[in-house]
Amino acid sequence: MKRKMTGWNLLVLLMLILYSIFSLSPILLAILNSGKTQGEILTNILAFPQNFKFDNYLIAFEKINFLRSFLNTMVVVIVGCTGIVLLSAIAGYKLARVKSKLSGFYYSLFVLSMLIPFHSIMITLVKIANVTNLQGKTLGLGIIYIGLGVPMAIFLYTGFIKSIPPELDEAARIDGCGDLRLFFKIIFPQLKPITATIIITNALWMWNDFLLPLLILPNSKTYTILLSTNMLFGQYGNNDWPAILSVLIMAMLPAIVFYLILQKNILKGISEGALKQ
Amino acid sequence: MKKNNKKLTLFILPALLFYSVFTLAPAIGGFWYSLTNWNGLNKNYDFIGLKNYAAILKDTDFINSITFTLKFVLIMVVLQNILSLALAIAIESRNRSKTLFRTLVFMPNMISMIIGGFMWMFIFTKALPYIAQQLNNAALMDISWIGDPFFSFIAIIIVSLWGGIGYLTIIYLAALQGVDKTLKEAASIDGANAWQVFRNVVIPSIMPAITIGVFVTLNNSFKVFDVVYSLTGGGPGRSTQVIAMNIFAEAYSLNNRYGYASAKSMVLFAIIFVITIVQLKLMRKKEIDG
Repeated sequence: MKRKMTGWNLLVLLMLILYSIFSLSPILLAILNSGKTQGEILTNILAFPQNFKFDNYLIAFEKINFLRSFLNTMVVVIVGCTGIVLLSAIAGYKLARVKSKLSGFYYSLFVLSMLIPFHSIMITLVKIANVTNLQGKTLGLGIIYIGLGVPMAIFLYTGFIKSIPPELDEAARIDGCGDLRLFFKIIFPQLKPITATIIITNALWMWNDFLLPLLILPNSKTYTILLSTNMLFGQYGNNDWPAILSVLIMAMLPAIVFYLILQKNILKGISEGALKQ
Repeated sequence: MKKNNKKLTLFILPALLFYSVFTLAPAIGGFWYSLTNWNGLNKNYDFIGLKNYAAILKDTDFINSITFTLKFVLIMVVLQNILSLALAIAIESRNRSKTLFRTLVFMPNMISMIIGGFMWMFIFTKALPYIAQQLNNAALMDISWIGDPFFSFIAIIIVSLWGGIGYLTIIYLAALQGVDKTLKEAASIDGANAWQVFRNVVIPSIMPAITIGVFVTLNNSFKVFDVVYSLTGGGPGRSTQVIAMNIFAEAYSLNNRYGYASAKSMVLFAIIFVITIVQLKLMRKKEIDG
């Protein structure tokens, strides 16, 4: 199709450019001002820093104990994702293959819970975390995420496995393959696309989740990146913007890098996930 | 059959265990505690029936938070969907720059709204006042984005749109790519102009995506927390306190009235539940119609 109406096209382009500026402006302004002194920020916010002070980043790196916060967050994400993928894939396999009333009941039990808002379970959840001795531990937070994340993953796995022909299972069974071995040898390798989607969406969720870590991890030694950032903001408020902005840039950098590398998978996961519901 | 069910139970057991302890039990517990006067400090508590729910009806702070959230939800549903759809159409019409714009529009979605809120705080309290000063514009200088209830509300809307539009744009983009091209061409040949093609061909074919977009926004906006926490903390006063924040404050920051906060959280659950039922009904109906 050839383009007519160039005026219209120009308008569309202008709108997209304007929106992109809006979209990036907080990030760009944060980067720009993270290299200044507090005094420079006060005199001219929009100017480039006279010489970009990377020291601000080093100071910020120490202030929020970035390395420790990063590792804490990674523990939570890795424990959570591993648990969610393994448990949901195994459950989804049988839920997809066994057709009985019980199977339907289990499936509904998992799926229905997806409409419970987090705030309706949070108070009791913290109490349970206390009783089970998970409170205050990054490992504990990861374990809790497994319990919160399996319903959605089971929903996705069950739907996906239903599209794999069951003849494959039967062939393997004739060869004397046990159920669990059959799952790991035949089924699980075929789930790679949906497993990738599940890992990506859950990792992002845990990485960016704030309220649950806030309730489970009160000790600064166990803080995730978000909790450390929040603490720093509370401490310095409006007074030390160079430090705060440097921290904000560092705190969002992992997610941005993750996005730029896995963009296609992330966007595909979103559009497929939403339109399938 | 029985053997199959046994194996089924065995395979789902690990997932069921985690799910029961960390989702199902807390949900049931939340309902149970909503019928008690448990306050977290005291180990003992009593069953008090529906007294918490009766108290909610007279709790003006909570009712205000519901009204405020409703206003927020309404504006978000309209603006977020219209802007996302417009952006999706605009991006879809580009050739080479399609991927670039998609990347930039979606980018904020990757960032936690806690970090997003703090970055915007810098814009609202430092950058915008600075720009107003440079322009020497008294009206702009007078705006206190975080200190005034009305402008705080606008600030929350702006930041929420900033963080949420990318997600819906991706959904609308996928839907637009699914529109039958021959149908559009046929309409053009029959003399329909661009608006008529959009109104009569594009909109009906992306209707399922619009339904999803509206309900995604409804669901997320009723539960909004992070952006308000980082931007205004519910203030000034309680003027921007959303439902989730009111529940959080009731349980953790102001007092530890867990039982009462649980009752409030059941109200939020009821709202989300009704929305979801309506959504399912609507989507089922569409499937039958289509």
